[in-house]
Amino acid sequence: MTEANKNRSGIIRRLVLFVMMAMILSFTVVIPAEAESSGEIVKTSAVPNPGTELWREVRQRGGPVVGVTQVSGVDAGTLVNVSGENWRQFRVEQIIPYSGYLLGLTLLLLIVFRLIRGEVKIESGRSGHKIFRFSLNQRTIHWVVASLFVILGLTGIIQLLGRTLLIPVMGNSAFSGIASFGKLLHDYLGPVFAIALIFMLVSFIKGNFYKLKDINWFLNGGGMLGKHASAGRYNAGEKSWFWLAMLGGAVIIVSGLILDFPIFDQSRDTMEFYLVIHGIASIAVLAAAFGHIYMGTVAMEGALESMTTGYCDANWAKEHHDEWYEEVKDSVDVSSDVKTNNNEASINSNAQPGIGA
Amino acid sequence: MATMKFYCDAERCIECNACVTACKNENEVPWGVNRRRVVTIKDGEPGERSLSVACMHCADAPCAAVCPVDCFYTTDDGIVLHDKDICIGCGYCFYACPFGAPQFPESGAFSSRGKMDKCTFCAGGPEETFSSNEYSKYGANRIAEGKLPLCAEMCSTKALLAGDASMVSDIYRNRIINRGASTMDWGANYQRGSLNVK
Repeated sequence: MTEANKNRSGIIRRLVLFVMMAMILSFTVVIPAEAESSGEIVKTSAVPNPGTELWREVRQRGGPVVGVTQVSGVDAGTLVNVSGENWRQFRVEQIIPYSGYLLGLTLLLLIVFRLIRGEVKIESGRSGHKIFRFSLNQRTIHWVVASLFVILGLTGIIQLLGRTLLIPVMGNSAFSGIASFGKLLHDYLGPVFAIALIFMLVSFIKGNFYKLKDINWFLNGGGMLGKHASAGRYNAGEKSWFWLAMLGGAVIIVSGLILDFPIFDQSRDTMEFYLVIHGIASIAVLAAAFGHIYMGTVAMEGALESMTTGYCDANWAKEHHDEWYEEVKDSVDVSSDVKTNNNEASINSNAQPGIGA
Repeated sequence: MATMKFYCDAERCIECNACVTACKNENEVPWGVNRRRVVTIKDGEPGERSLSVACMHCADAPCAAVCPVDCFYTTDDGIVLHDKDICIGCGYCFYACPFGAPQFPESGAFSSRGKMDKCTFCAGGPEETFSSNEYSKYGANRIAEGKLPLCAEMCSTKALLAGDASMVSDIYRNRIINRGASTMDWGANYQRGSLNVK
């Protein structure tokens, strides 16, 4: 195309646009003219809808407008709830998909890690000697919190992701039964969890304060980088999980209690805010809990038994908590301790030696 | 099919609350629940206006989008209804709704929320039409009787309009045009005189 052609087509385009604009404008002029000719009224002119000003005002663009009403109820005087749209979009478009991705990705990463790394064995084999690690109190509190956490986490995920994942599978009346029962459990067990977590904080806080040398554990990737990462009673990863669970738990509990009792006339803005906080904090702690559950159960040989029987194998302690082992090996008669047999160990778990806790 | 809509003419509403009362009576609404309410802004000041609001039966309803159990549906008449057998009383629809339409009766221990209740456009619910189940859960089904919602039908000033969207807007548009014409005839500035807009 030559330069002249280009110019000409540009002129034609502008001309067409001009004609179209003129036609559109002429219509707006024609309408009142028609009204004048058909009716008696001569002085007609464009009358703005008086409702537009009112609705603009109550949409609170210029600050909150609260009216009076005879109806009593939460936010009854507010005509338009402006935050609802933002909250709904954030929940449906961000929280729900991203929490699904995060939890799914965490599971995937754990599976991939397991396939690469395999089970972490006790390298020198079981010694047959047991070292007391968790008292009966600690174990009871741990499993109470753990069961509540699993129930609350599961019912919460059902509430959050059920519509996306479960309704297409089971239909919404079957899902409603599950979600309804789940909501009941979630609402009633939430406050119980709050109390249980306070007990957990008290009974596990000893030994969970960070020390300067914990940096080394992080620098060695918790022993995953090939180099040995020495650790005390709790390694830096366990400490991090403890504090994440406690601080995250506190956020979840406070927001949860506000959401759990809607009888104190909490405004919609308040509830929306705490729903977002509750959701994000819960998903973060859940993703971390996946890691904790993996590490505590199938990831390594000899890890679970200290939380079920109270005792761990001396060689496991030596390999995973070497500094703690050095502290306790003198105060316990390793040779005369219980056998590897779990049944015998559980009988002895009620006898509480001076170490642990 | 029609697209049912409410429209409240703020120039006509006199805050008599008859719509609220009519709705409560016609639908035997649970204790503590009002499907419709009249809100007055600038009460006692120049430019005072009242509006009667209930569920606006949105074309793309936020309540339906946010509901975790997907209990909402839209009828062929464009009326947004919900299934109380599926509702779990979570309250999310109330947070998402721009108009504060969803209401919750208190039920169970610690006054937790019961099943959500809201304006049905007097169209009953998913139960069998005219059954006692439908009436006890959702209230009257005037639409099935060929009638419009009672709140609008008995509005004394005809401020509250209900019906097919195109008819409601036709009625309202005619009103605006006529009002504009008459006030222009009086030589008054309608907008400034009645709305107190700067």
